[in-house]
Amino acid sequence: MRDYTVSGKNTSNAIYNDSNEIFVYKRSGASYNLPFRTESSLPAPRRTEVFPVPPHGGKLFSEGGCRMSNPALFQTMTKGFDLAQAIAEADRCLLCHDPPCSKGCPADTDPGTFIRKLRLHNVTGAIRTIKSNNILGGACGVLCPTPRLCEKECSATGISRPVEIGRIQRALVEHGWTIGFQPLSALPKNRGKVAVVGSGPAGLSCAAELAREGFAVTVFEERAEPGGVIRYGVPAYRFDKAFLSHEMADLEHLGVELVCGTRIDGGTGARKLLQQGFKAVFLGPGLWAADRISGGENVKGVLTSVEFLAVMREERFAEIGRQVEGKTVAVIGGGSVAMDCVETAAKLGARDAYLVYRRSFAQMPAEEEERLAALRLGVHFLVLNQPLGYSVDEGGSLTGLKLVRTQLGEPDASGRRKPVPIKGSEWTLEAQLAIEAIGNRPDPADWSGLVKTDGGRLILVDETSGKTSTAFVYAGGDIARGAGLVVEAVQDGKRAARAIREALA
Amino acid sequence: MAKTNGSKSAFGGALDLSVRFCGVKFPNPFLLSSSPVSNSAEMVEKAYEQGWGGVCYKTLNSDRIAIIHPSPRMNAYHYEAKQVVGLQNVEQISDRPLKDNLADFLYLKKKYPDRPIIASIMGFSNNEWAYLAKAAADHGADMLELNFSCPHMTVEGSGHKVGQANHLLEKFTATVKNAVNIPVLAKMTPNITDMTEPALFAKKGGADGISAVNTFRAISEIGLGDWVAKPNVFGVGAMSGYSGAAIKPIALHFIAEMAQCAELGLPLSAMGGIETWIDALEYLLVGATTVQVTTGIIKYGYRIVQDMIEGLSDYLALRGIARAEDLIGKALPNLKSTDHFDLKRQGIAVYDMDRCVGCGQCFIVCRDAGGQALEWDEAARRPKLVEDKCLSCMICSFICPVPGLITHKEMPKGWARRPTAVMDKAMERQVKVPNMPLT
Repeated sequence: MRDYTVSGKNTSNAIYNDSNEIFVYKRSGASYNLPFRTESSLPAPRRTEVFPVPPHGGKLFSEGGCRMSNPALFQTMTKGFDLAQAIAEADRCLLCHDPPCSKGCPADTDPGTFIRKLRLHNVTGAIRTIKSNNILGGACGVLCPTPRLCEKECSATGISRPVEIGRIQRALVEHGWTIGFQPLSALPKNRGKVAVVGSGPAGLSCAAELAREGFAVTVFEERAEPGGVIRYGVPAYRFDKAFLSHEMADLEHLGVELVCGTRIDGGTGARKLLQQGFKAVFLGPGLWAADRISGGENVKGVLTSVEFLAVMREERFAEIGRQVEGKTVAVIGGGSVAMDCVETAAKLGARDAYLVYRRSFAQMPAEEEERLAALRLGVHFLVLNQPLGYSVDEGGSLTGLKLVRTQLGEPDASGRRKPVPIKGSEWTLEAQLAIEAIGNRPDPADWSGLVKTDGGRLILVDETSGKTSTAFVYAGGDIARGAGLVVEAVQDGKRAARAIREALA
Repeated sequence: MAKTNGSKSAFGGALDLSVRFCGVKFPNPFLLSSSPVSNSAEMVEKAYEQGWGGVCYKTLNSDRIAIIHPSPRMNAYHYEAKQVVGLQNVEQISDRPLKDNLADFLYLKKKYPDRPIIASIMGFSNNEWAYLAKAAADHGADMLELNFSCPHMTVEGSGHKVGQANHLLEKFTATVKNAVNIPVLAKMTPNITDMTEPALFAKKGGADGISAVNTFRAISEIGLGDWVAKPNVFGVGAMSGYSGAAIKPIALHFIAEMAQCAELGLPLSAMGGIETWIDALEYLLVGATTVQVTTGIIKYGYRIVQDMIEGLSDYLALRGIARAEDLIGKALPNLKSTDHFDLKRQGIAVYDMDRCVGCGQCFIVCRDAGGQALEWDEAARRPKLVEDKCLSCMICSFICPVPGLITHKEMPKGWARRPTAVMDKAMERQVKVPNMPLT
């Protein structure tokens, strides 16, 4: 048996320290409940997206020069806390009575418990708490907008700042993989077959829950690899393949069968599954078609966010590089996906990357951190500018984005103040590439033959159970709720699994 | 030397950190203790440059029995995110040839005549004690410290085995006193119940002062894979000396107990978990004249003495006290046995609710370990104190993450605490207390 040593850097101390000194933190780990050895790692930049060490000459905001020439940087995400760093961060937890953080998660994550377990050196127990609630605990630790969920209510805010729950969660899940600890097990598969359509967060979550309970689950995925939005819909520098493959391995450990490259074509396809002996079907296909700005379909040099991000995730860097490098790129939209696209464009070496949004900066749905990250990269924010269409040359290639300036008027149906075009303020932004990130919709698969939908768009479900209008057919994730968070999709999957288990009892 | 030594106190007089200990003047009370941090003149010189007032030099060996150090020789005890709260070691006495150490004495005395050298010695026979004492005194040692207390000597029958055998302790002290004219300290082991007892035997043998405490026998950690205690010396662990902040409260009581012992009446050099000027001050306040440091230096380096000097100087200035010596024993008149408490005066915890962050840890500890005196407002996330249930144990204040939010206040005369509830009053009828005399 080896000596156990965990070492790393205590970044929480660095955060307290204005001179940016990093306090080196080591501890011998014999008091932990599993043998482990992790190597000392570079200090993870604290909350990468907000206040990282500026990559460009110490300036917080870059004026270009942020280009990542190495494709590998697009393929791997930033390192998170190692265990020692997670322990140091957990040390700030106030171990609340009736922990408010544990009430802030859409998927019922219980940070109050897993952080307490970590504090009491029950590391494996902490991993069990996370994973048994959420098979995608790692993904949520990485991707969740924690500042407005679990961390929002953190009592430590009253003293300094919230405990970085998401980063601790990620570190614990990754630590489990490092030491080969598998907290989940499945009952023998003797409760019948269930089909899951789509291997995104909702589908995987549903599949895991059912497999643990003794159902034989088959997940059908249209694309070549599983993961859905967390495989093809976010840039790899935010969530990479290697991380996903660990999370998938946990799923496979539960005996979930995965069938990729197989499209279940709408209601007809799903009905066939029921006829083939699947006792229930969960639909979690996501939203994979894009809302469009009229006219964009036929212009060379206009992509949807779905196309653009998929090209990145398929690692066709040379192809996309030609379209972006040295060019002026305009990304249209104000959500998280728009930020991913514009950040990617900036990192690919766009001469100028514009973010065009018809409302104000404050109205953007993208997380605050994502917006700041884009600003930091030198993205030009063109807020209060509404796209009207595209200018094209004789060959049909994009030359510019036609815009009109807006100003905020009275609140609209969504309660937000409405952008009103300013007469005579039309102008054209020269651009060689435009990326539309203004929303997603279901792909052409038609579910309306099987279940009730809202006019062919989203599938109508009972929110608490994912039940559709048809017996033994359930749905969740973006197809049922519209574009949402990974953690919300996870909860949809869990709720549907519970309902399926009850229906098949 | 410390610049702050020349600073002015609040009343205009110059501050004086120097102390006279067993007739020897030290520029300040902060000394290196006999340990790896005082192993050679090269090291001691570096310490002097930072401001240390003297050295208790690493225990001399006569070369008759070779000293070989185990490897590895230390293990740290970490607590939560805090490193080296305690330190365990199997360090032996000096493994250098005697003449090398004596040559180093000459060097130090020549270059730093104002810094006293206390030579720690350990003999493995009666004659050897005298031999080492004379050798040290002849090469400039200002004082001797007799190491009766190392808890992990690999040479059988030495170290704290002597310190636990009063007659040997007395005999060896007398032997040394007969051999030299310089003051002699006996260094005590804490691995006993009452330290005044061996200290009195040392006094009988002629000791001029007492130094304490050496390290506590302890096990700081056990390997969970190999079940070998640490430091793991190639498959073997051992109980050995434990030092550092973790032992300070216990060491402090040993010093106070000896200082209170009128029959003993010897000057004291204290050690045990000293890292800051506050630690050092507390030892002075319970009666120590000098303090010695090792683990603090192992943790932070010799530089910590700068903060001890500055911190103590500023304390003196702020309190309007001219001399560090005037602090010695100042806490002793207030240190009494628990039967002196005025039990009629009672108090409760007071909460400054404006500063509460709502974590509720006070509620948990009061419910599980206190008087169940807190109610929890779930919606507001705030505790509410039921005053007449408060035990004034103050555990809530120790757990509260906001410093000073919970304090203690005295209740008016006549205020009474509610008795602890009985779960089922009806059962009192079944209670039968034994019918027998209590006195």
